Amino acid sequence: MKNRLSSGSLQQKLTLLLLALTLLGPIGWDETLFSDQPSAVPVSSQSKKKVRKGKTWWSLRALERPALPATPKDFPSPQNFLDSFVFEKLNEKNLKPSSLATPEQLLRRVYFDLIGLPPSEEELDAFLKDPTFEAYQQVVDRLLASPQYGERWARHWLDLVRFGESHGFEYNQPRNNAWPYRNWVIKAFNEDMPYDDFTRYQLAGDLLAPNDPDGVVAAAFLVAGPHNTTRPSNDKMRKTMLQDEMEDLVGTVGQGFLGLTIHCGRCHDHKFDPISQKDYYSVVSALAGVRPGDRSIPDPGQKGREAQKDIYRRQIDTANKEIQEIESKVREELLSKKKKDKPSPKTLKVPTPFLHWDFTESLKDSLYGLEVQLRNGAKRDSKGLHLDGRAAYGVSGKLPEDLGEKTLMTWVKLAHLNHRGGSSITIQTLGGNLFDAIVFGERSPKRWMAGSNSFRRTQSFGGPEESNAGGLVHMAIVYKADGTIQAYRNGVPYGKPYKTGVQRFKKNEAEFLFGLRHASVGGGKMLAGTVLKASVFNRALTQKEVAASSGKAVWFVSHPELLAALSLEQKNHIQGLKEKIKSWEASLKSIKDVQQAKVFSVRPTNPGETRVLLRGDVYSPADVVKPGGVQALVTLKSDFGLPANAQERDRRLALSQWVSSEKNPLFSRVIVNRIWLYHFGAGIVNTPSDFGANGTSPSHPKLLEALALELREQDYSLKALHRLILTSYTYRQSSLPSAKASAIDADNRLLWRMSPKRLEAEAIRDSLIYISNKMNFELGGQGYRDMRHYGHKGSNFYDPIEVDGKNGYRRTIYRFSPRGAKKTILETFDCPDPSAATPQRAVTTTPLQALALLNNGFMLKMAEDLAELLKRSSGESVERGVQKAYRLLYSRLPDHEEVELAKSFIQKNDWVAYTRVLINTNELLYVR
Amino acid sequence: MTDYREVKNSSENSISRRELIQWTSGGLTAAALASLLSRERPLKAAQAGSEHSHLKQRAKRVIHVCLCGGLSHLDSFDYKPKLAQFHGKPLKYSERPATFFNQVGLIRKNDWDFKRRGKSGLWVSDLFPHLSQVADDLNVIKSMVADSANHTPATFQQNTGFQLNGFPVMGSWISYGLGVATEELPAYIVLPDTRGFPAGGTINWSNGFLPSQHQGVAFATKGPAIQDLFPKKEIQPEVEEQSRTLLSKLNSKDAKRFGSEDALMARMKSYELAARMQIVVPEISNLDLEPERIRELYGMMGKETHDFGRSCLMARRLLEKGVRFVQIFSGGSFGSPRINWDGHEDMRRNHNREAKRIDQPVAALIRDLKERGMLDDTLVVFTSEFGRTPFSQTSSNKVGTGRDHNMYGFSVWLAGAGLPGGIAYGETDDVGWKAIDKPVTWPDFHATVLHLLGLDHEKLTFYHNGIERRLTNVHGHVLKKFIG
Repeated sequence: MKNRLSSGSLQQKLTLLLLALTLLGPIGWDETLFSDQPSAVPVSSQSKKKVRKGKTWWSLRALERPALPATPKDFPSPQNFLDSFVFEKLNEKNLKPSSLATPEQLLRRVYFDLIGLPPSEEELDAFLKDPTFEAYQQVVDRLLASPQYGERWARHWLDLVRFGESHGFEYNQPRNNAWPYRNWVIKAFNEDMPYDDFTRYQLAGDLLAPNDPDGVVAAAFLVAGPHNTTRPSNDKMRKTMLQDEMEDLVGTVGQGFLGLTIHCGRCHDHKFDPISQKDYYSVVSALAGVRPGDRSIPDPGQKGREAQKDIYRRQIDTANKEIQEIESKVREELLSKKKKDKPSPKTLKVPTPFLHWDFTESLKDSLYGLEVQLRNGAKRDSKGLHLDGRAAYGVSGKLPEDLGEKTLMTWVKLAHLNHRGGSSITIQTLGGNLFDAIVFGERSPKRWMAGSNSFRRTQSFGGPEESNAGGLVHMAIVYKADGTIQAYRNGVPYGKPYKTGVQRFKKNEAEFLFGLRHASVGGGKMLAGTVLKASVFNRALTQKEVAASSGKAVWFVSHPELLAALSLEQKNHIQGLKEKIKSWEASLKSIKDVQQAKVFSVRPTNPGETRVLLRGDVYSPADVVKPGGVQALVTLKSDFGLPANAQERDRRLALSQWVSSEKNPLFSRVIVNRIWLYHFGAGIVNTPSDFGANGTSPSHPKLLEALALELREQDYSLKALHRLILTSYTYRQSSLPSAKASAIDADNRLLWRMSPKRLEAEAIRDSLIYISNKMNFELGGQGYRDMRHYGHKGSNFYDPIEVDGKNGYRRTIYRFSPRGAKKTILETFDCPDPSAATPQRAVTTTPLQALALLNNGFMLKMAEDLAELLKRSSGESVERGVQKAYRLLYSRLPDHEEVELAKSFIQKNDWVAYTRVLINTNELLYVR
Repeated sequence: MTDYREVKNSSENSISRRELIQWTSGGLTAAALASLLSRERPLKAAQAGSEHSHLKQRAKRVIHVCLCGGLSHLDSFDYKPKLAQFHGKPLKYSERPATFFNQVGLIRKNDWDFKRRGKSGLWVSDLFPHLSQVADDLNVIKSMVADSANHTPATFQQNTGFQLNGFPVMGSWISYGLGVATEELPAYIVLPDTRGFPAGGTINWSNGFLPSQHQGVAFATKGPAIQDLFPKKEIQPEVEEQSRTLLSKLNSKDAKRFGSEDALMARMKSYELAARMQIVVPEISNLDLEPERIRELYGMMGKETHDFGRSCLMARRLLEKGVRFVQIFSGGSFGSPRINWDGHEDMRRNHNREAKRIDQPVAALIRDLKERGMLDDTLVVFTSEFGRTPFSQTSSNKVGTGRDHNMYGFSVWLAGAGLPGGIAYGETDDVGWKAIDKPVTWPDFHATVLHLLGLDHEKLTFYHNGIERRLTNVHGHVLKKFIG
């Protein structure tokens, strides 16, 4: 439990400060040097002015290496320098460290601390067999190397940066693409990314590593907080909303990395710390271009998918070729029997279309017999299909096979060159939502183009204007699988190809139009002229093939004719190949292309100049400020050397350097204190996000300095810091209370023992799933949702639902976390709403928690699963089951009385009732 | 650790000597209990030994009727005869009015007639015929101003003093400031509109950075009022009893093994409270226990008034049991068709429908509290995040049927807590567009509410993330003249 309010000295200090502020005259900087004892109350009631802390406030000064104190007499020998500093303070108060924790306690403690789960039975046995310091070190190393470590420690960071997966405010839309940031944080912890890089990536990853998807993902830090998406028509309201979000962002950056409440300078100079209003707006200027939004990044899995797809494609190609070879042999034989009109022997081989209409002969396609219906006065005679340009068109039967890659081709005579947007051939989905077409004169007069829905696949070919009114023109458009589209006029390339994409049309779900661009009839979509013939190919023709087709007549064998001529053996072989192709195509289809993954991150704008806003009022702009840091941090330059209207990228890059600079003493002080806090339950500075005058004084100032220096020297490796802390004697102490020590230091600020810690909400849920052997340890990914999202009256709501099974039983960090969701058991156990930063979670005890552990559906399910496991493994012996339960839940064996209690309880009731009780015990919920 | 000197020394706050003995006899230290029940008093000035003393407490509990969407003050409590005169004319202001949709139509007269009501002669319109009958108990502030004309920031400001997500709401601050008066129920309970939650969901009753026992607990509109009150699957009473006994034995053994820390003791105690909650909550939700006359009074037999009548009656029953703060929402989120007071399209249709739902129940609540002698030390608060514009929301040459948001002037009222009743405070201009006499900000309003509860808004603070936070931020003045 922490309640800072009760600290007497702080009360006094604040009251006096407030009093002085209100009663006394103007405020000036206090330049007095403070002693090394930052706990000194700097303001006395006599002081007439100068209440604001000076630039020499302890936390603003450069890091200073403290001398290592000698070990007091009769103290255990220190494991490392941490202990030396802790022992020194204890000795000053006539306190001594406690004895070491038992191996069981220590193991359970370090497991929960590092990975948020208890040790397994095997791990427990192994350690109890060899409970040496060396074995313990190995355990620490193993846990730090485990992916579970990142999943545990990323949670602390996500709390701090108020990472939420919805916008908040009125609409509270879900951020469906925010989760990559969470995974990145997990990865960064697991890979022990140096903390200064970790910081720079989050402030400017998109600029520092533009080619690395992680860069953009990490920069999502900047937009992790709430964002108001309502758009009032009122200018002042909009501007104020933006400034509100800036304050929130500056607050998160300033406090998160530096423990500085810079954002208190929005309306006036900071009341307690040497931060001016101008400082605030300098930092605003550095961040002023930050806006949230979805960004596309290359999907990291796409390479592998492409390779797999190529394998399928090659197999399909080979099989298709084989079919073609068989069929073309038969065709040629058939053709040579047909002696109607010999094709010129010199022409290249004319490719066989997939569909072909010769309107001078029939409305039926020659291959599948697909018939064209005439509409609105369209006519057919031996000259072709006649279209009046007003309403007449033809429509075919449904597409007989799926069509992706394709070639469209028509032989057409235009009645005149002035119509705009008619089509000589169109393939469209039934109803006309999606289509590809050979269109004349739509975007630019007299030019051909590849028409498509909303111009999705339409760009200018840049071909010449058509001049042949009334004469025959052969047009072909080739749509390649890779999205390339190329047009040919009379067999030669028409302009230049371009690449947009390919539209697949499904069997029975598409049809062909002649004369009409797409449904429905009217406007500039009609073609005036005559279509003589039209072909469709289910592949992309080469230039040679198009040229060959553009020649005189096309000769081929119809599909039924071909079928009749094939031998049974050939037919079977073809059938077999087609089935294989079908299955390959299905596999190919099942590989979902994600060329571009969407990531919710920063979408910078160029912000222009920033001005100080008097009283924070957006309509009272004053002096222009340049992007910069806080002047009071004198160990490094606050001026970024950039002009007021500098590029967004330069500003943010400079800020990321300033924040994470080696010369910035707050940068390492703040993070070592956070890590310390999560291990010990209290920080050396117990206001982890405020190292200013309003914060608490460090309990061990020298230790803080030594740790900060150590971090810097270890290249900002957080794992090295963990190792140092976890192997210290101080960390390995017992947590048993002592009346004598409590009388001197009830809050254990001096660490005469280890403070017991209540498990966090996530650790409770995770360990119960883990103990029942149901945990799905999948790493990363989108995560799971234990809530139903629905829209109601323009707002979004998130109601809890129970999830289980493989996806539901993932670690809690992968839970979708919108703001303002309805309460679940996690929130009951102090899991914060992600609307505001939580540098340290509250630990409360409420009757609602008791009700949740006793009655919640998830908890009852856990009790059942655990009971099932125990029953199965214990066989006839209840005692063996009880022992297993104690080892799993508490990492120890039960004593005789506990076994007897359990036996008689289980006999009267059952295993489930028993495990339900165990889940509610203090021993489960507390780590000693 | 929580400092409990306050608890021990305090003579005039809610803790009686009897209660103190009762706790400690359970083997629980006062600190453990304070952490559990939040009876701690955060009034730091007293702690620091300054000359400030506790304020006189005029109310011990609060009912907050929270209207979502923006009640038209011009059609309810702020009578503007000039509106009829200027009907169809443009608003005469040098600057262009700033509203949400930026459409400034011609002035529209009030859609409901105003009359002087009761002995006091307080103006109330026909929109609220039942409330008109208790006009002598209402204390209207006609000069409210807000900082945003955008629903959610304005609603956040109304409830937390800040326009952003995540700050603790007034109910949480009051729970934190006063602690609980009952162990059997949460201190702060929310009764949402049966048609849906307000936009933003539970963030509207968030404890923010205050400890989680101060969060608003929303009673479900269907099924058991509190989540997880009873096991998801049925458990036999004798199994339950034996389970509790075993749990208590195991926890006692644990205390012997690892020492009896306050937090652990508090956890053990929390199971007793949970058990009592299982008895009290169903009892309190069973409105059939109320006499028919009372249910009739609250409109529980009426089609339109049933839902809100139920909430109001439930609220009274909760207060009787010692709940500190009950918040009743009238209206859900903001899309259309509307389910709240956001009359952009058609004021008559919208406000008639919404008022009909709540008028009789709220009036009944005041009467009922009065009959029971509870109104003297209960504060009833009736607010909306902002008001509506005197001009219609149309193009500049038309009189339309709807009104846009108005943050420059609007009305709220308070009742009970020894307030004089039948009074109006502050004024808006001739057409009710802007507050011109004694403008009241939300921090002023919050300071006044806290004051009536005996809490000094400048001393009710909580340290969070580098700042001693207050409900009133760095603003707020108690409306001394208003409260008398």
